[in-house]
Amino acid sequence: MIFNIDDLTVHFPYDKIYPEQYHYMCDLKKALDAQGHCVLEMPSGTGKTVSLLALIVAYQMHHRNQQRKLVYCSRTVPEIEKALAELKRLIAYRQSCGLEEDFFALGLTSRKNLCLHPVVSKERKNRVVDTKCRELTASWVRAAAGKTRGGEATEAPPEQTAEQASIELCGFYEQLEATNVPNPIPNGVYTLEDLKEYGKRMKFCPYYLSRRAISFANVVIYSYHYLLDPKVADLVSKELSKDCIVVFDEAHNIDNVCIESLSIDLTRPVLDASARSVALLAERIEEIKRTDAEKLKREYSRLVEGLRDASAARDEDSYMSNPVLPDDLLKEAVPGNIRRAEHFVAFLRRFIEYLKTRLRVMHVVAETPVSFLQHLKDVTYIERKPLRFCAERLTSLVRTLELSDLDDYGSLQKVAGFATLVSTYDKGFLLILEPFETDTATVPNPILHFTCLDASLAIRPVFERFSTVVITSGTLSPLDMYPKILDFSAVVQESYSMTLTRKCFLPMMITRGSDQVAISSKFEVRNDPAVVRNFGQIMVEFAKAVPDGIVCFFPSYLYMESIVSMWNDMGILNEAWKHKLIFVETPDAAETTLALDNYRKACDNGRGAILLSVARGKVSEGIDFDHNYGRAVIMFGIPYQYTESRILKARLEYLRDNHHIRENDFLTFDAMRHAAQCVGRVLRGKTDYGLMVFVDKRFARADKRSKLPKWINENVMDASTNLSTDMAIASAKKFLRSMAQPYDANQMGISLWSVKDIETKGYKRSTVIAK
Amino acid sequence: MSGRKAKKDDDEYVDIDDATDTHENEDAQQGGYSWEEEYKRSWDVLQEDAEGRLSSVVAHLQQQMKRRRLLRDTATVQRGIIRHLFLVIDLSEAMNEKDLRPSRLELTLTYARQFVTEYFDQNPISQLGIIVIRDGVAERLTDLSGNPTDHLRALKNKRNQETSGEPSLQNALDMACASLVNVPSHGSREVLVVYGSLTTCDPGDIYDTIAQLKKEHVRVSFVGLAAEIQVCRTLCKETNGSYGVVLNEAHFKDLLFEAIPPPAVTQTRNTSNLVMMGFPTKSNDLHPSFCVCHSKLTVGGYICPRCSSKICELPTDCDVCGLTLVSSPHLARSYHHLFPVDNFIEVPWSGINSLHCFACQTAFDSSPPPGAGLESNSGRYSCPRCHNQFCVDCDIFVHEVLHNCPGCWAAGSNISTVQIHSKKQPAIQNDVMPMQGVTS
Repeated sequence: MIFNIDDLTVHFPYDKIYPEQYHYMCDLKKALDAQGHCVLEMPSGTGKTVSLLALIVAYQMHHRNQQRKLVYCSRTVPEIEKALAELKRLIAYRQSCGLEEDFFALGLTSRKNLCLHPVVSKERKNRVVDTKCRELTASWVRAAAGKTRGGEATEAPPEQTAEQASIELCGFYEQLEATNVPNPIPNGVYTLEDLKEYGKRMKFCPYYLSRRAISFANVVIYSYHYLLDPKVADLVSKELSKDCIVVFDEAHNIDNVCIESLSIDLTRPVLDASARSVALLAERIEEIKRTDAEKLKREYSRLVEGLRDASAARDEDSYMSNPVLPDDLLKEAVPGNIRRAEHFVAFLRRFIEYLKTRLRVMHVVAETPVSFLQHLKDVTYIERKPLRFCAERLTSLVRTLELSDLDDYGSLQKVAGFATLVSTYDKGFLLILEPFETDTATVPNPILHFTCLDASLAIRPVFERFSTVVITSGTLSPLDMYPKILDFSAVVQESYSMTLTRKCFLPMMITRGSDQVAISSKFEVRNDPAVVRNFGQIMVEFAKAVPDGIVCFFPSYLYMESIVSMWNDMGILNEAWKHKLIFVETPDAAETTLALDNYRKACDNGRGAILLSVARGKVSEGIDFDHNYGRAVIMFGIPYQYTESRILKARLEYLRDNHHIRENDFLTFDAMRHAAQCVGRVLRGKTDYGLMVFVDKRFARADKRSKLPKWINENVMDASTNLSTDMAIASAKKFLRSMAQPYDANQMGISLWSVKDIETKGYKRSTVIAK
Repeated sequence: MSGRKAKKDDDEYVDIDDATDTHENEDAQQGGYSWEEEYKRSWDVLQEDAEGRLSSVVAHLQQQMKRRRLLRDTATVQRGIIRHLFLVIDLSEAMNEKDLRPSRLELTLTYARQFVTEYFDQNPISQLGIIVIRDGVAERLTDLSGNPTDHLRALKNKRNQETSGEPSLQNALDMACASLVNVPSHGSREVLVVYGSLTTCDPGDIYDTIAQLKKEHVRVSFVGLAAEIQVCRTLCKETNGSYGVVLNEAHFKDLLFEAIPPPAVTQTRNTSNLVMMGFPTKSNDLHPSFCVCHSKLTVGGYICPRCSSKICELPTDCDVCGLTLVSSPHLARSYHHLFPVDNFIEVPWSGINSLHCFACQTAFDSSPPPGAGLESNSGRYSCPRCHNQFCVDCDIFVHEVLHNCPGCWAAGSNISTVQIHSKKQPAIQNDVMPMQGVTS
């Protein structure tokens, strides 16, 4: 269908549109026009991705001279694939409507998913693939093999020596390098599979092809990390122009991604490995000195000149800034005491030794970067300034020494990154040394957490650089929290409700068992047999009343284990087995995948199954339980984070002091967004239906409920906020019966709009706003 | 007819006392103490009308529910009136639940007995068998046969009413399928499952069984007592059956009885249109003679027109020559499925043309109640052919019992029906003749 939003003609690849999709597009357009950021919450399964793409593509084509590129970031590879497929469909539809457009879109993912090389692509680990690929494609390897970039290749002496011939290169990469065209791929929409197919046909390396083609694309779809992780972003995303439209889909967890990308954990094995790498570096330097001393000299003089090139580039505003490489650093030359390679190696050695002694401390230490640096200076005379250049200096050295197996240097890079970060930021970070893994452990296993407390640090460059950043997900409530913790201002903040012709989900809050004992996962009562038995009772009763699949979520693995073992003693598991099979999620990914497969099988063949999983685990984030795979989700307790964790405490303190967010508010917000994420798994579209059961007396409180997304909150009836088990079962049975009735699919005008409806109702809405 | 009477007895869909305007649960005395009962939110069902009264809403609800069952498809489609149906009853522990009064099990058995009676009443030349499932095994109570008394006896047997263990859908379907593959191709093959449990404990892959059923053109329909189970939904969809989940006791009955009119024939299996049938003569011998079916001395019975052997009951297949034996009234009774009376149309107040029901002469309300619009339902239903108007009770009676519209007969306009009956007369001959069993 084709319709207009203000003066913009939108092609939507379906005949009908949900009203919330239309509203979503309207608001998105507002944000684009205003060139500001926006936060949009829309229920899962209502076609968020397609409305987003449809509008932005229409916008791009309408303002063709502006060339606003769309950068769409998603979380996982399957989600990227889905978005690409959706986009392909959209473009096909636009073309079938007679629009002749030059449109180019592609996805980017790791080498592992794209590699075509017969040997390398067999590897399973990401890192191994990366290393092997570099071994085949690094510039010095290629130079050694007698091939240089572009046109010079033809001028190379035809008689290759035997040694040169024996160096193995990647044929796909060479083929790509041999082409002179800047963009060697015709326009169109390429899914990851299409890209591989094209690569295979043309003998091009799909990975480098996509890297190269990004600058020509109208739409780029890739993972968060390509934009947020400073190391990767520097390689891939820094050339993106300023007026790009950046979209973070499924962004409810974005603050944690930001924090993780800047946090570093150092352990003894890491330090040992980096010490070994340093020794290797030293050896290599000696070797180079003997063979090619000129090379080191060249590097030295380059360092004297400083990072001037990079600085110039940044002044021209063509690159995105990197949080690991602060601005003022670029204007300076690398300090003298680490300019020479052997000095730098000695410097690193000293720094690592210092860290090792720090790890020997047998009590918990928490200190700020400032005091850490002070102590460092007192003990080792290492100044702050050279530390800041550590990461850059290491990269330069590795390049000079022509080391391709970066795998071995991972630990060292970590240490160097740590050195740079700790000396760059005074605020927003904390060092925590924990000598023991748990409170009760006696064998020390020290970990030095260098933790980022401020999620806005990693994402700041993104907000500063790009004019429009869209943050969207199914669960973002309360909406004002994200602008606060990510430190940006949004021009549009909107949460959409779900228009339904039937009430296809039933949220219920169970606050007490059949015996009227209040139930809660509060620390004081969580192991009380009465509470555990009531939890078990709820599971058994729902197993009796609900067909096919039930998913249960617990706040943590530890708590789940203790509950399940208590259930076993009480005979509750035996009772539940009569009705359904039970599967358990474990921290092990392979085991969980197997459990999920069997869970699905049991749901399909009518045996029915219960999946016990954890609110912050793999299952709660990426796995959908549509239709029969999840007729009910039971949330046992509120999934608060482990509040005794020192890292969390530090972060809470930081949020309180700097962003004026009370600890309790943040904890509740975090718990409720995870709870919402968990229960949202059950509903993937409007034909689906399911029960959402919250089991904890604290859910009944208004402060918890108000933090649920609008679309869930609207459907919570007052009568179902304070139920006992038997009352809940009765309404669940009634709900399931009514949902099983033949579904009158006539949703026209209510939850499905045609062009006509848009014209009438959409118009009405805009006039209302105008008033 | 006794079955029909019983049906009328529990036709009270909504138990509401208009005078007190409360919704008391009247059948509490059947279901044990009130504190043992399930938590009910009966007030959710009701909505007050504009003046805050409930009576009009209740009346409306009642009428709606009565009509709901009537609105079936009246297009003349090809229906297989020679049916072979297995009734599968779940006897697992889940059937002990008391969410249907008095319990799922007792209600199911009561309705099953009514179903058997009604089934043979409406489909006299069809056959039925009963399978129960408990403890993960399927048990055949009765084989396919055309004699309702055997089935009723089996259902009344106390031993056949005990529940235990979990059900196995696959075993039951396999058993039904094994019997149904042997029936002649002109008859329909159907399985109707009444399923209380939400799980099935199967020995193998149930999807193999579904594929097998599909291959053999067995139609499987489900009446679920609790909630929608995906595998049953798939099964019904694959085999062109229907799948319903009961809302309450009355709805259970509606769903179960939906299986009584013969289903439309799918085009895929139309191998034979003509079926050889014999119409036996009743034996009037005063002296007892041996029958071929039980090998007993009996007085009376029917003589097969082809081999002259004596059979006790109709309809059946002759044990000696294998001829299908029916009596002509049986065949005639099955006819109305093929030419149903058209659905009557709701008449709005603007379209009334009489003050009395054409059939029972009950007086209608002459003017709409205050507040109701001209387009609201006036409680009258008109036949689309003769345009006479009937009350809701007569509407039901015409469609469920008479199968002829009195208005059309009075006007002589129901030509097609007359033709059918005149055609039918020569068919009733006590002789072997080819006869269209599956008519379009």
